[in-house]
Amino acid sequence: MATEKAQALVLRTTDWSETSRIATLWTREFGKVRVLAKGGRRLKSAFENALDLLTLCSIVLIRKSSGGLDLLTEAQVVQRFPRLGTHLPSLYGAYYVAELLDAWTEENDPHPGLFDLAVETLRGLGGAIQEAEPVRSGLRVMRFEMQLLCELGYCPVLEGCAGCGTARNEGAPGPALFSVAAGGLVCPACQPVQRDRQALSPAGLRALEALAQPGEAWRLAGRDDPAVDAEVRRLLGQYVTYLQGRRPRLLSYLESVDENGTGPKRERG
Amino acid sequence: MGTEAGGAIGRLTEALGKLPGIGPKTAERLTHYLLAASRVEVFALADALRAIKENIRRCNQCCNLTEGELCSLCADPRRDASVICVVEQPRDLAALERSASYRGLYHVLHGRLAPLENVGPEQLTTSQLSRRVQGGTVKEVIMATNPTLEGDGTALYLSSLLAPTGVRITRLARGLPSGSVLEFANSQMLADALEGRRAF
Repeated sequence: MATEKAQALVLRTTDWSETSRIATLWTREFGKVRVLAKGGRRLKSAFENALDLLTLCSIVLIRKSSGGLDLLTEAQVVQRFPRLGTHLPSLYGAYYVAELLDAWTEENDPHPGLFDLAVETLRGLGGAIQEAEPVRSGLRVMRFEMQLLCELGYCPVLEGCAGCGTARNEGAPGPALFSVAAGGLVCPACQPVQRDRQALSPAGLRALEALAQPGEAWRLAGRDDPAVDAEVRRLLGQYVTYLQGRRPRLLSYLESVDENGTGPKRERG
Repeated sequence: MGTEAGGAIGRLTEALGKLPGIGPKTAERLTHYLLAASRVEVFALADALRAIKENIRRCNQCCNLTEGELCSLCADPRRDASVICVVEQPRDLAALERSASYRGLYHVLHGRLAPLENVGPEQLTTSQLSRRVQGGTVKEVIMATNPTLEGDGTALYLSSLLAPTGVRITRLARGLPSGSVLEFANSQMLADALEGRRAF
């Protein structure tokens, strides 16, 4: 049983006993791991306060080959995201990032690029330093969502028909049609087969393409048009729900607040 | 045999073993202690256990645990009804009361907003708090949720919910504990202390 070091994001913690805690961590080196932190509930422990949700920490763990819980021996805070506690849309967006990582990744399946993107997203949502050109939290979350889909092989087909592979006709009149069941755009010939098809505006399609691209093009997706944001949010939510087999819990929270964080649009429940 | 799985001793050991922090061996020791104890002592324990399920309820006003309509704090006319301190659990209320430095009233949420654990506002006593604040006598609400991301998130949600009422919303200070030394404080404590510094 070798001792390993890793960078980790805390996705979930559960109290195990009076003093111990079980944590689900998303690590850069090993993918998702579930660890037992003995003494993790004590104020003075080898974990300080690193096991708080969505804290980026540096950890030392003993890997178990038997498939049981790994043993966490040390954890130190590398970064917290304090602004998450001051802006509801960012907080719910960060929770959604954690929910997606927990639901869509497997143990012992590392994705360093996705880890870095998750940290970048959390820094953008809740880091201490404000950016010169702030990006809407909703857009940042959709960027992460789309990149997660692409990294895991579920990027929606936008360059042609997801049903038959025909190239997209750029000059075709009217909105494009998108089918979550087909996994992307559908051509006129395939439309009758895809009953769940729905119209996708040209601006919405451009926003989806920008979100799927590497680089910084995503920052201009939607160009601050709330209607395009809402359209892309709804479509991505439906797509993730279809693939996941259930609606992510945080989607209703994301829909319950407005972008300026003035408060809940409505009392939930 | 009394120690059979379905026998009285087996059932008591199994029941005690379900309590937090009590493993099978401790449960067995406790069972044998109770077997050896006097009838009066054991029946007093049994009565106390029964009473907490039959008599304890939530205070109509603050949702603290009580045996009457109102808890002793809400029924005390000497408490300042214009200030409400919001806590996650009754044990947090007890900790604040031990400090003997707060004379206002409380509101117990019975949890914290944890969407990832499927705990939403509807599982907490947020609607009762909202009604209390809208009642008009409250001037300040102190958020005393735990200093974790979920605790802060709960306070943030509540402050958004209560903002339209115009009531003053504050939260507990955080930083260095009294009697500690800077050298051994962790970076988060120091950052919080610096951020929350105040004038002499």
